[in-house]
This record gives sequence, structure tokens and C-alpha cells, in this order.
Amino acid sequence: MRKIAQFAVLLGTVAGPALAAPAPALSPARAAATRAMFEQVVNTPTVIGRHQVPVMANYLADQFKAAGFPAADVHVMPYHTASATTGEDDTAALIVRWRAAGTPKAKPILLLGHMDVVEAKREDSSTDPFKLTERDGYYYGRGTIDMKDGITGITQAMIDLRASGFKPTRDIVVLFTGDEETNGIGAEKGASEWLDLLGHPEYGLNADGGLGAVLADGTPMGFTLQTSEKTFAGYTLTVRNRGGHSSKPRKDNAIYSLAHALDKIEAYRFEPMLNETTRAYFTARAKMEKGALGKAMSAWLANPKDGAAADAVEASETDVGLTRTRCVATRLFAGHADNALPQLATAMINCRIFPGVDPNSIQAELTRVVADPTVIVSRNDNYVASLASPLRPDVVNAFTHAVTAIHAGFAVVPEMSTGASDARPFRVAGVPVYGVNGKTIVVPTDLRMHGKDERLPIKSLTENVVHWKMMLSDLAGK
Amino acid sequence: MRGALLSLALAAFPASAAMPPVARNPLTVPTRLDPAWQVKTRALFKQAIEIPTVKGRGEVPRMAALFADQFKAAGIPASDIHINPYEALPGDKTAALIVRWRAAGAVKRPILILGHMDVVEAKRSDWKYDPFKFREEGGYFYGRGTSDMKNGIVATSLALIKLKQSGFKPDRDIILFFSGDEETGGVGATKGASEWRELTDAEFGLNADGGGGSYGRDGKPIVFGVSMAEKTFQTYFLTARNRGGHSSRPRPDNAIYDLADALKAVQAHRFTPMLNDATRGYFAQRAKHEQGVLGDAMRRWLADEQDGKAADIIEANELEVGLTRTRCVATMLQAGHADNALPQMAQATVNCRIMPGVQPSAVEAELKQAVGPKIEVTPDPSFIGLPTPPSPMRADVLKAVTHAVEAFHGKAMEITPTMSTGASDGSFFRAKGIPVYDVDGSWGISPDDERAHGLDERLPVRAMYDDVVHWEMILRDLTGK
Repeated sequence: MRKIAQFAVLLGTVAGPALAAPAPALSPARAAATRAMFEQVVNTPTVIGRHQVPVMANYLADQFKAAGFPAADVHVMPYHTASATTGEDDTAALIVRWRAAGTPKAKPILLLGHMDVVEAKREDSSTDPFKLTERDGYYYGRGTIDMKDGITGITQAMIDLRASGFKPTRDIVVLFTGDEETNGIGAEKGASEWLDLLGHPEYGLNADGGLGAVLADGTPMGFTLQTSEKTFAGYTLTVRNRGGHSSKPRKDNAIYSLAHALDKIEAYRFEPMLNETTRAYFTARAKMEKGALGKAMSAWLANPKDGAAADAVEASETDVGLTRTRCVATRLFAGHADNALPQLATAMINCRIFPGVDPNSIQAELTRVVADPTVIVSRNDNYVASLASPLRPDVVNAFTHAVTAIHAGFAVVPEMSTGASDARPFRVAGVPVYGVNGKTIVVPTDLRMHGKDERLPIKSLTENVVHWKMMLSDLAGK
Repeated sequence: MRGALLSLALAAFPASAAMPPVARNPLTVPTRLDPAWQVKTRALFKQAIEIPTVKGRGEVPRMAALFADQFKAAGIPASDIHINPYEALPGDKTAALIVRWRAAGAVKRPILILGHMDVVEAKRSDWKYDPFKFREEGGYFYGRGTSDMKNGIVATSLALIKLKQSGFKPDRDIILFFSGDEETGGVGATKGASEWRELTDAEFGLNADGGGGSYGRDGKPIVFGVSMAEKTFQTYFLTARNRGGHSSRPRPDNAIYDLADALKAVQAHRFTPMLNDATRGYFAQRAKHEQGVLGDAMRRWLADEQDGKAADIIEANELEVGLTRTRCVATMLQAGHADNALPQMAQATVNCRIMPGVQPSAVEAELKQAVGPKIEVTPDPSFIGLPTPPSPMRADVLKAVTHAVEAFHGKAMEITPTMSTGASDGSFFRAKGIPVYDVDGSWGISPDDERAHGLDERLPVRAMYDDVVHWEMILRDLTGK
């Protein structure tokens, strides 16, 4: 996910407390098949430029076909992804359509996920990130939580439901994309030229969102249901200089100009903002959160102009990103030889923009913040502002039902994701999308998406299969 | 050269009253090289510039072969022409060219002429024109290597060939040693000064990768420097590490911001000023003529070496920069692994030019102090700088250089000993007991033509042609009687 689920302590359960029906158990054979599939996909390094996404797509397609899904409804869709900052790849999407038995009762449900992962370097990781490693109750490897767990969960749930004789009353359509972490072209195609193939779904369930959070001592913190997301946008700071010989340093130096610009961006804070989802979220949080953080939430809700209160909320590691647009430097490139003054220095600035704010206005704001005419701020993409999806009672109920059955003591809360995912183009195209994956992790230690030593609690892998089975039975079974 | 330029840090305009009121434009003064040799020089220079001898491109052996062919055609026996292939930085397949012009009945030990065939990277997208396409425009030759230092390779080679064809008989062997990785590894010079020593051993060396004269924008001669010492080259890596994470959840701890703070510290840091014999001689010469704030600062500093403020004023001058102390500057950055991830590693390359006599380990310690404990500071393991002593001035070399410089530039062009702010192949030979003097005859307008390693590198057309004659005169003087 380009976003991260905000685990959050959530409170105000959206639906009424569902009765905890016991979760169905997964057979040992299904659990073993799940483990084997997870290992296979994690060990496939689906990083941009390595040409491995089609390998993974074909593997999954074969698994679906072997489980009895008709070949005519299983499509590997090759496509090209590229941009100036991410590099390029021949990648692929996987589309699987499980047709309803008889006349469908409604338009299809779309199941979304992505097969690609963020780069992980062997030297930056404790174990080989592309070899699934089991240790200390965890699966380690790139993609274990972002999001090959979700890919495995959806796939195994569908295979298991089919094997058990389940007959959907409406089509269930899978779209696994191949470049969510980079250019999002697969999702763009899904929301446009592939819509016919997808059967014009009524809504989407995204496995790249939704998360249960527990503290290290086992205290449940809440289960998020993602309904909206910040807009992802990339910017580049560029400084050019005539360069020269490094034995004769000058005051004008592209790298130093860039360092000063980065310093200003580090210190800058955008204006705090609230919307319906975050207001509901913070209202619930403020009731439970003790101490200074809870007081800051209450103060901010009482007076949205109270910037100091919002700053205190933003400074909390659990709530970072929820109070405003945030931008952070993620990459640097400068110079062409160690013995030459740099002619070019660039920094990539990654922004997560509050819903409703135009990415072009952020470009203008960054330019003002840097306040140096030698530092040029440009956009890396042309993403538009993302939209929120209205809460649907059927989705909320199914999600709550599954969460309550599998886990004790978790409240469900709507969530604005601080990042962007493949959901954005669908939301823009009028297909609401809900992040409803079912893993639980320990916060904040397991929040390692895109970072070092990414890992998933072992029991989460199979619990998530059960979670998806329950969701699909509820939403496509009646 | 990893080091200084054709002009050696020369101060602006010695406002000497002795100067003629109107200076001639040095670009339009006719060359002393005869027209037939101009054609040969231009053709060879063009071929050399258009071979992109950048690290890793494997083109140096082609350039070595081009020059070897020139010497064979001029009658140097094949047994005295050696192309020694070697690997410089890992994967960089390069070569050195070693040529010996034997003297019949030599009475003195050989002279070694040094140069390098490789050039610093130049990107087409950064340059106005293709850096590896030779161009002449407005009295200049343009292209990567026109001033650093394919000009010196061409001038020394053609001077030797021209002398040979004229029937000149040297009284000592003249050895040319052209390395293939001066700008990066210095492996060629290391081998040249050690395992290939039988081919290169000499009484002293003349380096074509240094020396040179400069003119002001008003056309007045400034100074011609003979470098006899050089700063030690050492690159350090400054590294910030972080656990990283998802960029939608920025944290106060961030490897890039830590590195940015370190870069600001490096930018602000100043090492302690110091003088040595070469720079004392240089500033004494400069102080004779320089007026105003800069001249006063030079005089004050020479009178009181503890006067750090005076040294700071000198160092702040664009033409003197690097001569008063060790300097370090950030030259490259690399950080992060994905646009949407917090960086796990951010690294800056910091290039230092260390005063002779100062150990690189002391500079490393001072950098660590400046940047603080969050940043790792490590020397670049692929090139460990070798501190070298200044070479003692030789009267015969100074006399030969003076003779040539006066012939081209008149007495108004002062000749001064100096210290190169960079390191060249000369350091490896100095370290192994062969004194080296940088005496190339190229020149340029300061500071406009100081573009070595930079954009749109160029050399005045006349400087290229006259440099052939310059080397011819020096070799005649030093090997002629």
C-alpha cells in the first residue's frame, strides 16, 4: 500500500455490537496450502524492474484454475509501467471472475490487491527479504504485510469457499495489480478500460487496507475499516549549479542549497484540518485517550483553530498524518564524481495530502516554504485529489461480524488512510472502496511496511483466510 | 588532475603600475607553432577528445593505442613503447602508456613526463554541446578533457615527436608515462612508481597535469605557477542510517534530515589555516603586487601565521581558495530506496584536499567532531590518500620554465612556486622518492576558463598550440647540453 493503515485505538464501533458467532476453523490441509502459497509469493521478488510480477500472476492464475475456476474467467493482463522517478517494468495484473450461480442478485463485488512490493535490499535487512523466514512467531520477508498476506488471504478464501461448495449469489471479481507501489497504472486501467471485464462492480473490498492493532501486552487497540485516503503526490526539488573542481569549493553549491531547503521542509507544518471521518475518529479517541494526548484531541475538536492542540496530536506516533497534509524527503541524488562540485542535486519529496486539497496548491506552498529561487519544486505525477467512500451498512456489518468472531475485544472504526492505494481511481470513477483486510499486528513495532525486516504474526496469515471467507459468505452468499 | 587547474589559484589583478595601460587580448596573439604542426596538433587533439575515456567505459586502451601509433610512426622502436593494461577501480579496464626516447650515450638519469589519459564523467544532458564532440568556437577548443588534460598529453607527445624529427639528440632518456585512472583510482600511478619502476625510474618528473598561467579578464598576465607540492586527496563517506518506514508516517528521526544537518555543519566548518614552504613562497610573491584588502591580508598573514582572520580573507577569495588550509566539500548524495518509503540510509560523499603533512586520519576525526554522533564518517576504501612532501625546487627546472614562459607571455607573467590544491599522479612518484614539478604551459582567462571537471570545459586555441612549443623548449633546455 502506498498508505498505511492507521491502527488506532478505535472506539465508536460503527455497527452495533455483533453477536460473536464462532469463527469457522481452517482445515490443516488448507492451512498448509496457505503457508505454501505465502512462501511462494513472498519469495518472488516483485520489485519494479525485476520482471517478476508476471511470474507471480501466472502462478496465482494456475492456482485458481487448478481449484476449478474456469480458464475463461482467469486473465493475466500484461502491461507496462514506467515513470521518470520509479524506473520501468513489464508487469501484469490478474483478473479472476467467479460468476454467480444463476442470475446475479446484484452487480459484482470487486476484491482489490496488489502483487508488487517496495524494494528491499539484502544489506539493509536482517534476513534475505525475498526468502520467507519463520522466527519468533513471525513470518519475515518483503511483502509479508504489504500485502502478500492479503493476496494469499483472498485467493485461499476463494479456493476454500469453492471447494466447500459455496455458490455466490453475485459475481466476485478479483483484480490484483502489478504496480501499486510505483505508478498505479494497473488500477487506472482497472477503473477504465478493464471495467467491462470486471463487470462494473458495485463496490470494492480492498485487502490493502483495514488492520487490527494490539499492544505488545496483547491489549486490543481496534480494527480499522478504511473509507478514505489522503492523496499521494510526489515532488522533486532540483538545484542546478555550474559545478567545477572540488579542490576549489565555492559558496554556491547545489548540495548545500538543497540541504538548507530540506531543513525548511523538515521544520514546516501544514495547516491542520478535520473532515467527517477524522472528526468521528478523534471524537471516539478523545473519550478513551488519557493524559495530554486525549486533552489535545478534545481541545482541537472543540476549537479546530487550535493549532497547538493539533500539533500535539500530530506529534504522537500513533496519530501522525491524520491532522493535516504531510510531506517528507525520501530520496536524494546529487553529483557526478567525487572530485567535482555538483552540477545537479535533487530530492524527492513525498506528500500525503488531506482529501479535498489540490496537489498543485501543495507545489505552490512548498515553493514558498523553500523560499530559494535556485531550488525548483516540480511535480512527479498528475494525481488528483481522492474522494471518501460513504459507509455501507452491509460492508460494515460483514466486517464487524468477521472481526468479532475471530478476535475478542476489538472495536471497529472508520479510518482515513494517510496514504493512497489502488482504491483512488475506483473511488474517482464512482466505485466506493473499503479497506477490510483482516490481519492483526503489534503496534507500533510491527508497522514495517516499506521498512526494514517487514513481518507478519504467524497466526494472522490463516486468520485472514477465515476473515475473507466470512466476509464473502456474508456479502455474496445471501 | 584531481587537483587544481591550469591557473593555480591566482589572485585577481596585480595592479602593478608597471603594466602597460592597454593589454593585448591573449586569445588573439598569434601562436608560435608553425602552421603544418598546428594542423597535426588539432587533428590529434580532436581524436583524443572524441575518445570518451571516462571510468568504466573501457576506452582508455584505444587512446593509448592512438598515441603509441604516433610514436611508432615517429621512429621510436616498438620495444620502447609499452601499453600496460590494468584494472583500476573494480571493473574499470584501463591501461597506461609508457614510452622511452633513448639517448645515445646518456650521461644523466632520465626525465619522466607525467600525464593521464582518462577524464572525469561529463553528461550530455548537463552540457550545452556533446562533451565528447570536439568543437572550436570563439578562440576556444571545447570538450571534456580540453584542459584536464588531453591538452598536456597532446603537447608533450607532439613536442617529443617534433624534437625527434628535427634531428635533436637528447643527452638523457625522456620517458613519457600516461596513466589511465588518475581521476578515480590512481592505480596506474601507484604501479608506475613501484612495480613498473624499471620502465619509469628517473631523476625527476615533469607533470603536464599542472602548472600553467593565467590572465585576468582585462588581458593582463597574472601568474604562472610551478607546483612543487600538493594537497592530499581523500574522499570520505558521511552516512546516516535509520530504521526507515512508510513515508505516510514521517517521524522526527529521518536519515535525510540528519544528513542535511551534517552537510550544513560541513559547509560551515573551517580547518585551521597553515603555511608551508611552497605556499609561503607563493604568497610572498603575490603580496608584492596585490593591493587592497586581499593584499593586506596576505602581508598580515605572512607576518603573523596565527592571524586566522587574515587567512580567512584570503581563503574567501575565489582565486585563492584552497591554498590556506585543508578544505572539504560535499560532492555527491545518495539516499533512500523508494519514493514512498522513509530512507534507511542517506549518504554524502565529501571530498577533502588535505594540507601536506596533515594525516587523513586527523581530518576524519575533525569531520566526526563537526557532524556529531548520528553520522558515520569513513574514508573511501577505494582510494586512500598518501600524504607527500613538497619537492625541493630545482634551479634547472625553474630556469627552463622561465625561459619558455617569458617567450610566450613576457616578463609581466610572474613565475611562482605553488602548492596544487588537488592531488595528481605526481603524489605517487613524490611518495616514492622522485621529485615532481608541474610545468605544463597551458593558460586561460581566470576564472572564466577554470572548468576542469565542470561544464563546457575549454582551452584557448592558442594555449594548445603554444603548449607544444613550450614543452619543446623545456625539453631542449633540460636534455640538450
